[in-house]
Amino acid sequence: MENVIELQHVQKSFEGFQLKDLSLTIKKGFVTGFIGGNGVGKSTTIKLIMNLLQPDSGTISIFGLNYKEHEKEIKQRIGFVFDENIFYENLTLAEMKKIIKPSYKNWDDNLFDHYVKSFELPLTKKIKSFSKGMMMKASLTIALSHHAELIIMDEPTSGLDPIFRRELLDILHNLMQDGEKTIFFSTHITTDLDRIADYITFIHQGEHMFTKEFYKIEEEYAIVKGGIELLDRDTEKEFIAMRKSNHGFEALTANKARIENIFGEMVLIERPTLEDIMFYTKKGAEQYV
Amino acid sequence: MFNLIRKDIILLKKTFMILLPVLFVYLTVGSSSIWVGIIFSIAIIMGAFANDEKSSSNTLLNSLPYTRKEIVSSKYIGAFIFTFLVVFMIFIGNLIIHREITVWKDLLFIISLVMVSTSLFLPFSYKFKSQYLLIASLVSFALYMVINNFVFQNLNEKMSELVGMLLALQNAQFYLIIAFFVISLYACSWLLSIRIYERKVF
Repeated sequence: MENVIELQHVQKSFEGFQLKDLSLTIKKGFVTGFIGGNGVGKSTTIKLIMNLLQPDSGTISIFGLNYKEHEKEIKQRIGFVFDENIFYENLTLAEMKKIIKPSYKNWDDNLFDHYVKSFELPLTKKIKSFSKGMMMKASLTIALSHHAELIIMDEPTSGLDPIFRRELLDILHNLMQDGEKTIFFSTHITTDLDRIADYITFIHQGEHMFTKEFYKIEEEYAIVKGGIELLDRDTEKEFIAMRKSNHGFEALTANKARIENIFGEMVLIERPTLEDIMFYTKKGAEQYV
Repeated sequence: MFNLIRKDIILLKKTFMILLPVLFVYLTVGSSSIWVGIIFSIAIIMGAFANDEKSSSNTLLNSLPYTRKEIVSSKYIGAFIFTFLVVFMIFIGNLIIHREITVWKDLLFIISLVMVSTSLFLPFSYKFKSQYLLIASLVSFALYMVINNFVFQNLNEKMSELVGMLLALQNAQFYLIIAFFVISLYACSWLLSIRIYERKVF
């Protein structure tokens, strides 16, 4: 399977924050959700992928090309959406289009008009007056109007109302039908991913925890609930992290089958949500520090 | 890259609409074409710079298929175009209002001085922020006053004499030297700005 994005041993340090030896690959033709808490390096990673930042060391290749020699070629093929408004506030959407259109070889006015119409966007109102939702729709319209092969979005659903969040996910879903496009987007609203993501990439404290197929996560990971008496030094090691109370424990495992073998019927095994995985992984990482 | 200059023109459309009548008012009143030209050119050049200074604009431009080199170069080429535009307007303005043809030396003087100022202002603004330019200018002006008062006593007069002398010169060789100096400065400044901008983090 072809990789659209490849990061190899990427290091980037800032004051008080660092991405450590980040290696990850994003596969062509799929939607990859990018999750992690606040300030763990999601936006930094996206900026590295967009060449807004350069890594201290390591290599980044997009469509198998590097930015040093193929910067413009790569960017021609990317559509981007950021969580803040990056358009000129005092311009209207029509003027903004006039600025952006000539920079893309494959700009398609029909597509642009189609999205403007279906999103009910005003062309002659200043972008300054747009609501958060309209701003997102405008960004998306621009991102989708030049037949980009890779769509990169940083927190596209944050601050949107639930109805539009669903609409957005539907649009993305439709985009994926031809199998040529790849979507990579970060979010901390993990329920968005249930509907659309094929792969999940999870980072924590600047480290890549995993990139896995969504259904495999559900097969491998499990929330385990049981009585305190089941725990001893050996069995505790089987879990990524756990929460104990007087009534019993609740823990996350990355190896559901093994837990079923060890504890059998004595514990309750449940499907974890992505939030459970994020929560316990964070907890687990803190315990070992 | 010319798309980037076109973008600056779209963004400055309103500024042009305000500045153009003001320019003609100045010319009608009979202000010095040279100073009007310099001030207006620099105002437009720095206006174009300030429009793109926000980090969100940098994110946009760098995410579009442009290289950082092109983004900086568009400002330098744009500065050239805007200066020519102002000089052209002054020429036309003087022709219409005063029915006189502006001396070509005056026009050349405007262009050189704007190029020198741009060469200083742009790298400074890329490195720091254009809003500090005012402070930097005030500090330089204070320094100038101090030197004027304590060292040379009559620097102002000497400067006007120098300007007068420069404009009165007939020697072609001398003009070539000045042109060479201005163009080299501009080129160095251009390269320096690219270097600064390539290392910038948004």
